[in-house]
Formats: sequence, C-alpha cells, structure tokens
Amino acid sequence: MRALQKIMKLMLIEKKDIAIAVICGFIAGISSVGLFAASGYLISKSALIPPFYTLIILTSTVKLLGLIKAGAKYGERLYSHRATFTILSNVRIAFYEKLTPLVPRIFHKYRSGDLLARVVGDVESLQNFFLRVFYPPIVLLLVFVSTILFVRFYSIAIALILLLGFFLTTIIIPALFSLKQVKIKGNVRDERGNLSTHITELMYGFRELKLFHQLPAKQKMLLRQSESYIVHQKEENLNKVSSQSFNGFITFITSWLVIGVGAYFVANGMLEGIFLAMLVMISLTVFEPAAPMAVFPVYMQESRDASTRLYEVVEDLRFIGDKRETSINELPSHAPSLVFLDIQFTYRGDWRKTIPNLSFTMPAGTKTAIVGASGSGKSTILQLILKLQHIDAGKIFWGEYDTSTVADKAIWKQARVVLQENYYFYGTIRENLQLAESQLSDTQMKAALKKAQLEHFSLEHHVLEKGENLSGGEKQRLAIARAFLKKGHLWVLDEPTSSLDAQTEQKVYEEIFACAEQDTLILVSHRLHGLEHMDQIIVMDQGEIIESGSYRELMNKQDYFYKMKVLEESLL
Amino acid sequence: MGNVKKTVWMHKKKVYFLFGLTLMLGFAIVAQAYAITSIVDGVFLKEQTFFSVIPWLIALLFLLLVRSSTDYLSKRIGVSIASEVKGDTRSKLLKKYVSNSVQLAEKGQTGKKVSMLLDGVDEMDSFYSQFIPQVMQSTFVPILMLIVISTQHMNSGIILVVSAPFIPIYMIVIGIKTQKKSEEKLEKLASFSGKFLETLQGLVTLKLFAQTNRQKEELEKSSLSFRDTTLDILKIAFTQSFALELISMLSIGIVALELAIQLIIYESISFFTAFLILILVPEFYSSLKELGVTFHNGRSSMGAAKKVLEVFEEEDEPTLWGKQTFPEWEVPPTIQLDQVNFTYSNTNFRLHTVTATFLPKQQIAIVGASGAGKTTLLHLISGMLTPDKGSIYINQEELTKYTESAWLEQISYISQNPSIFSGTIGENIAMGTTEEVGLETVKAAAQLAGLALLIETLEQGFDTRIGEAGRGLSSGEKQRVSIARAFLKKPHIVLLDEPTRGLDLATEKILQQSIQKLNETATVITVAHRLHTIKNADQILFLENGKLQAIGTHETLLENSPAYKELVMIQKGRIQE
Repeated sequence: MRALQKIMKLMLIEKKDIAIAVICGFIAGISSVGLFAASGYLISKSALIPPFYTLIILTSTVKLLGLIKAGAKYGERLYSHRATFTILSNVRIAFYEKLTPLVPRIFHKYRSGDLLARVVGDVESLQNFFLRVFYPPIVLLLVFVSTILFVRFYSIAIALILLLGFFLTTIIIPALFSLKQVKIKGNVRDERGNLSTHITELMYGFRELKLFHQLPAKQKMLLRQSESYIVHQKEENLNKVSSQSFNGFITFITSWLVIGVGAYFVANGMLEGIFLAMLVMISLTVFEPAAPMAVFPVYMQESRDASTRLYEVVEDLRFIGDKRETSINELPSHAPSLVFLDIQFTYRGDWRKTIPNLSFTMPAGTKTAIVGASGSGKSTILQLILKLQHIDAGKIFWGEYDTSTVADKAIWKQARVVLQENYYFYGTIRENLQLAESQLSDTQMKAALKKAQLEHFSLEHHVLEKGENLSGGEKQRLAIARAFLKKGHLWVLDEPTSSLDAQTEQKVYEEIFACAEQDTLILVSHRLHGLEHMDQIIVMDQGEIIESGSYRELMNKQDYFYKMKVLEESLL
Repeated sequence: MGNVKKTVWMHKKKVYFLFGLTLMLGFAIVAQAYAITSIVDGVFLKEQTFFSVIPWLIALLFLLLVRSSTDYLSKRIGVSIASEVKGDTRSKLLKKYVSNSVQLAEKGQTGKKVSMLLDGVDEMDSFYSQFIPQVMQSTFVPILMLIVISTQHMNSGIILVVSAPFIPIYMIVIGIKTQKKSEEKLEKLASFSGKFLETLQGLVTLKLFAQTNRQKEELEKSSLSFRDTTLDILKIAFTQSFALELISMLSIGIVALELAIQLIIYESISFFTAFLILILVPEFYSSLKELGVTFHNGRSSMGAAKKVLEVFEEEDEPTLWGKQTFPEWEVPPTIQLDQVNFTYSNTNFRLHTVTATFLPKQQIAIVGASGAGKTTLLHLISGMLTPDKGSIYINQEELTKYTESAWLEQISYISQNPSIFSGTIGENIAMGTTEEVGLETVKAAAQLAGLALLIETLEQGFDTRIGEAGRGLSSGEKQRVSIARAFLKKPHIVLLDEPTRGLDLATEKILQQSIQKLNETATVITVAHRLHTIKNADQILFLENGKLQAIGTHETLLENSPAYKELVMIQKGRIQE
C-alpha cells in the first residue's frame, strides 16, 4: 500500500487537471440524474394538467440539463485523459531518475532485458491508476452525496435506502470481490509465467526437441499447462462477471426498495404522489457512474502490484545502501596506473563467484589486452574499473586513489569507453557524436569519423533509435569515433572491432594506438591477432588470471595463450 | 471474417442458448417497465392501497432477478466459449508450428510465434466473452424497445426512428473514417512505451557520457508531446461521443415534451402510457450507444482473433515418411546421397545435386563459406528436410520408407547453440534418448563429456535445476551437456555443427576428444570450422553456393580445388601444426 501512496503523491502533482476532471464528472453525473428526475416530474405534473408555462419551464430544464450533461462529459473525458497522460509522463521521469544510478548493477547476468521490460510494463500499466482507481470513487461519492441530500427533502427513508445502496455497490461488494481477486490473480500470474517458459523453450529449442524425439512429450506438457492457465483465467473472468452482475443486481434491489417504500408512503399519504415518478427515475439513474466500481478491484490490484514491484527494484537496499563515501570528485588529467588488489565479485543472480580473487597491475601509459573464452570475466573487469558494477571485496586503485572513494562521474570524465553494447539515439550522426562533448566543431567530428573509417557518413546522416539502420560494423565504428572525440586518458575498449573485417580492424587499431600513445589503454578482445604490440596480455578463464605477460613471453611459454592462438589459427 | 465466424458457430448450442437469454432479457426489461409503471400509476393516480400493488412489487422483484440472472448467464456463457476457443486454438496453433519443418522454425520468426501462442491467443478472449453476448443484446433490445414503444404511442416511436439512425450513421459514415485514421496513429503512438524502454536501455551509455540529465529532459518533452498528439486524436472520438450524447439527450427531451403535450393539451394518452414510454426510452438509447461502443471494441478484438486464425492459412513444408522401422545394426549403416536437391520456398536458396557415399564409421566434414548450404545438407541428412529431387539411401533402402521416429532413434545432433530446458542437469542429459535411463548411465555420459567436475561442485549434483528458472550455464558447459546427450544415446550416426568461436580451451579439447570417441561406434558427419577436423576427415564435402564442388580428403582437395585451398588457407598463421 505504501508504494501506491507514493504513486498517488506523484499523481497529485497534476492538481489542476484532476480538479477540472472531477468537477466535470460531477456535473455530468448530477445533470444526468437531474435530467431523468426532471423528466419524471414533468410527466407526473403533466398528468395533473398544470398551466402551460410550467410545461415550458420543465421541458426547457430537461433540454438544458441534456446539453450540460453532454458538455460536461466531454470536459470530463478530455481532462481526465489529459491528467492520465501527464501523470504517466511524471511517473516515467520519476523512475528514470531512480534507475539512473542503479543501472547496470541491478541487471542479472543473463537476462538484463527482462528487468527493464518489466519496469516499462509496470509504469505503463499505472496509467489506469488515475482513470480507473482514483477517479471513479470520488465522482461517485460526490454525485451520490448530492443526490441523497436532495432526496432527503422528499423522504428520509428513501435517502437512507440510496445510502445503503451506495455503500454496497461502491465499498462493500468491490472490497469482497477484491479479496477474492488477489488470490486468483496470483495464480493466474504464476500459471502464465510457467506457460511462457514452456512456450519459449519449445519454440527456441524446437530443433533439438525434434531430433531428440521429445517434441510430443513437450507438446503435451505445454498443452496441459495451457489448460491449467486457461482454467485460472476463466476463474478470474467469472469472478469479474459475478461481481458485475451482483453489483447490477444490488442496484436493481435498491431501486426496487425505493419503489416499494415510495409506493407505501404515497398510498399512506406520507409522500406526495407527484414526486414518486421522479424518485423512481432518480433511483434508476443514480447508479450509472457506479458501473466502473465493478472492475475497480481489478485495476486496484494491478496498480498495487505494479507499484510494489517498481519500488522493490528502485529501493533495493543492496544497491541503494551502496552509498560509500565518495570524497573525490575530480581525477587528475593524465594517464593513470590501474591496480586490482584481491578483487572479489559476483554478478547479481550468478550462483558462483564471477571473480573469486584477482590481482593485477597496469602501469600508467601502458597498453593491456585481456583475452579469454566467453564468460571468462573479461568484460566484468572493465565494468569494475568503470564502477558500472561494484566489487564485493578488495581494492581498485586509479593512480594513488582508492576508487571506492572516487565519484563515478569523475571516473567517467577521464575515460574513453567503447562497450560491447553501445547505445545510439534517434537523430543525426552529429547528435550522436555530440554525446562525447557538446562543443565540437564539424571539422573535429569529421576527423574522428575518418579515423574510425567512417568517412562515407555525412554528419547529417540519419540514425534511428538503437542505431537500427546501421550495420554492426558501422555501429562499432561510430562508438569508436565517439571515443576519439571524448576527453580522457584511460581507454576502455570491450571488443571494439568484433564486427569489422581484418583490414578495417587493423586501420582502426593504428588510429587508436596513435591517439592513445600517452594514455593507459585496456582492450578486451576475442580475437588474438594484432596483440603483438601490447605491453601486457592477461589471459582469463572462469574469472581467474591464467597467464599474463608480453606477447613474446606468452608465445615462448607455449602454454594456454599459445594454445588459444593455435586454435584460432586453425579456425576457418 | 469467415474464419472467425466459423469458430463462433462451432459452439452452436451455446450460441442458441445466448439467443434465448437475450430474448428473455429483452422481455424482462419491458415487463419490468410495465410493473414499475403499474405501481407508480396505481398509487399516484389511481389512489390504490399499498396492498393492491404488492403483487406488482413481487412481480417486479422477480423480473429484476430474471434480468440480472440472464445478464450473468450470458456473460458466463461468453467466458466459457472464450475459454474453449482459446484452448482449442492454442492446441491447433501449436500443432501447426510443430509440423513445420525446421527451416520455418529457424527463420527468425520464433519471437513472433512465442508471442502468438501466448498473448495472441489471450487477446482473442474479449471477442468471444464480451463482444458476442454484447452485440446480441445491443441489437435485440433496441428493436424490441422500438416495437413496444411504437405500439404504445406512435409519435414517440416516430421520434425514436428519426433520431436513432443518426447514431449508427454518424458512426459509420464519419466516425469510422476518422476512427480508422486515428486508430492507426494511436497504434503508432501506443509504441511510446517502446521509446521509454529504449531510453532506459541507453542509460549506461548516457551515464558514461554524463548525458543523463539531457535525456531526462528529452524524455519529458517527448512524453508530453505524445500526450498532446494523443489528446488531439482522442478529441475526435470525444466530439463524436458529445454529438451522440447530445442527440440521445435531446431526443429524450423531445419525447418527454411530446408526451407532456399529449397528456396536457390533447389529453389523448394516459399517465401510464407516458411513464412506461419514459422508462423504456433511455433503455433504447443506451443500448444503441452500447452497440456503437461494442462495435468499436469488437473491431480490435476481432482483429486480434483474425491475426491468430491467419496463421492457419500459411504454407507448410511437409516432410515425407514411411512406415518401416530399422533392424538392429551392429555397425552404422552406409548412407548414400543420390543427386539430392532442395530449394527453400522462402528464399529460393537451392542446394544442388549432391551425390556422396558415407561408409560406416567414417568421419565426414562439410566445408564451405557461410551461406554455402552446409547446414541445409546436415538437415537433409538428419531428416528434418526432405529432398525435392533425388534420394537418401540407408543401407540401400530409401530413407523415406521408414518412420521419422525410427530414423531419429539412430542419430544424435550436437548444435552450435545447444538448448537447455527447464529441469535438472540429469534430465537435460537424459533428453538425449527416449528410453528410460538410470543415474549411472547419465553419470557415465557426463564423465565422458567432461562435466563430472562441474557437477561435483554443485550441492545438488545432477538434481540441480538449470534452464530458464534455474542456474545459468556458460556456453562451454552447455556444449558439454549437448555432447553428454550424444554419449548417452550411443547412436549410429552423429551430426555435429561445430561452434565457430568463443569456446574455452578445455571445452575445445573435450569436443575434439568426444568426436574421436563417438567415432569408435558411429559415423560422424560434421559441419567443420576447424582445420583439425578437416585434416582428420575421411571425406570432405566442399560446398560453394549450394553446389558440391569437390569431394575427397584434405590433401586431394588441396591439390585439385583452388577454391578449397583458398578457403582453408585464409587463416594461415605463423604457427606450424
């Protein structure tokens, strides 16, 4: 519930639109009730042959109320939807801000996409919170209260009946339904998760299942799971349907009581007959805004779950509480030495230590390559240097500074980074390059593109979100161009040329080494050629350093690195 | 549309039941109005006692009960039809996907298929559970109202008839045209959540370049402009609703006025008639409005249903199988490919006239540049594809004479990216065969595949859960599981798709050793990426652009095929083997 309260606070920023929507909704509701009440009164009055002007006044009132209702409904829809979208925008920004310091540490090693997709799904589902959870009860309350106050003048008993009806349809029945819904929803979610796993595995592992002749068995399992899922979905839907119908029945019963009690009073002279039709019409129409309350619990549940999950992610104490004292906000602007001392690290969700214990040194101004099979921990080292992940134990030194005392931003300011996954934004090449620095001249940018072997791109060339319109090789070279333009004396390169052919790769390396001559450089590479000129090669396997030394040293040893080289040479 | 209608009529009994309930509902509404009017009229004008209206009150209660129950039952039936259709469709869809040849399964459509099986089918629900019952009600009720009202008082009927068509006409002529445009736009804009996701995905890059604040402002700006654009579109829909609301409210007003005039001036109708009509008229208009809303919602849910049903119209690539089973062999069979031809219908890539003979326990390597057809050839041998022309012979008998399961029993397949399934390590290895195997057998296979050490470090050993919901394995470990599967099965033929790169040295070694070990009892056919494999091969099939260019040993091909020589020597290094 607390999570939902926080969302409500976010929501209430839009006081103005919410207020207008509520007022319009109230007016729409009241004028609807008024319209039918007036019609009922009109007919009753007409039966008693009144003077003509009464007729005119009444019919004009009816028409006017009709106009007001239509207009108010328009305003209500407009402002309630406006509020919803603005609130949604506020929620997005709020969670963007909260996620910024936590990323990528909160990602699991193997399924980073899942977390973000879920966050986005939950944020988007919160758009229903205002429109279907917060808003309906308020308008309903206002309409009912006004109606009951009005009816009170004619008959207190009938007003009380309406009050009872209100409590039942707005509070009690939705609450009961909600309790049942919580249980069912949990089951549905679990079943869906299981089914999703079965389907994913069958479709992605299709070939192997076929060849192992496991397809029929897996199919049967999947269909059994599907049946189970559908059964629970059915239960959920029937619950919803029951609630709707039962709610509808209660509104009928309320009207029935009004008619019965009203008839009794009229027959016994306690109520003027002329008002009976009016009261009956009121009781029939006042429950119109109550209809959304039948599905209120569904959306309430959804919003509650979504907000709880969201706050669980962004308020995870393991990552929030990680605010060690960072006293150093600026690092000196020269090539640093890097020292790893007894580093231990485990990725979130990894069941074994990603890096059990590791130490090495990179003197200032040297060029180091880290090689090894996939999953050996190479990229992890880079992430630890950049503080994109935090070590569990040990120390990393940037020059003489313990990096745990250095602010993230200080490190990033001094680093030129090319990751395995780099992001490209919708816009032009120029805009993507300006990410490195906003004050760049065209000449500088063009020079960087040339160095990165991207001469054929103009600065105006269009880039789609995620760089979808660029090839893998182009994307990599664009990231390298960005690195050329950025300031900093530490180069951190994670497989920067994996999509490039040997020739282009060589040219790019030449440019990089020229540019980084005075700087410290770390390169993670899958491929083993072009490493002859590195000052140090570190060979990793399963999170540990197997070998390290210069190219010559390792080749002469004829051990692990040598064998990797042999293997690579024998690959077609 | 036809497909969708068919699925509805498969539940004839329930549909007829729904019809019946709708009729009952309609009549209940009319009777309810009649009862209310009688009561009010009775005590108001006819000065009846309360006692005399009690029968009407009881009747009214009963009618209200009928009304609620018919509504409830209709919705229940809708839900039950939806559940049946979903279960049935998912099962049929799965069958369809499963019967596709591996070619279709590999065309990168897997994500779409997964989504179709899960969400696609789910989205069909509202069409059957809500649209069908609703459309019946919203069509029948207004007609019934109109009839009853007209028989009571012609003028009201005329007003209704004149005003009513405005609603659907408005929707059809103007509404649908603009709605379609706005629906398209809305769909595009609905992908804003996609934009939000992409912004979050770019957060790491943004942090490194200290651009998170700038992007935050961008996000806010585009979020709000999305809001404004959406509102512009929604305003169209709201204006329509406003007009419809206005029409129905004013019409009710006109009806009320007309009735009042008849009552007062002409004294030609009774209070009873007037009040009865006054109660029924709102039901008429609200049903019409509901009809409009139902159609609007129904279009999108009908679209969802259509999307799924369209899959059944897609083409299949069937494989041909017979009825025989293989005898028990001591040694692997001889495999002959006789002018085997295959063309993919999607891409028109063609594998031409491959002729080759694989003797028992030979090591065969298939070599070529990427896209040359190596994997296609492997799939043809494995039986996942059937040749368009030519035949594959097993010990001189055509492969197509035998059952699929009989052939699959004889082979093992080790792929580049082995799939791990939810379950224990033991279960994942045991998948290799359909027979029941004991733990000892599984252990032995794991030992041969170099997995014993890893499993010893796990507290639950072979019972450790892996896969989606379990522990993650490195790619080397997954490869070893795949090899263990082959060792478990002890097949006569091993098909191997060598991983190209990225394996750790230990797994590489195990892979090489395993091929040799498996070769002791099986013919091994490999799509080769390693010089080592090629050099050890008894026969190499060199493919280029779907054609078998040359066949022979490594030395023979080096001498006779310059293209082969070039391919193999590209990676020439300074290392001498």
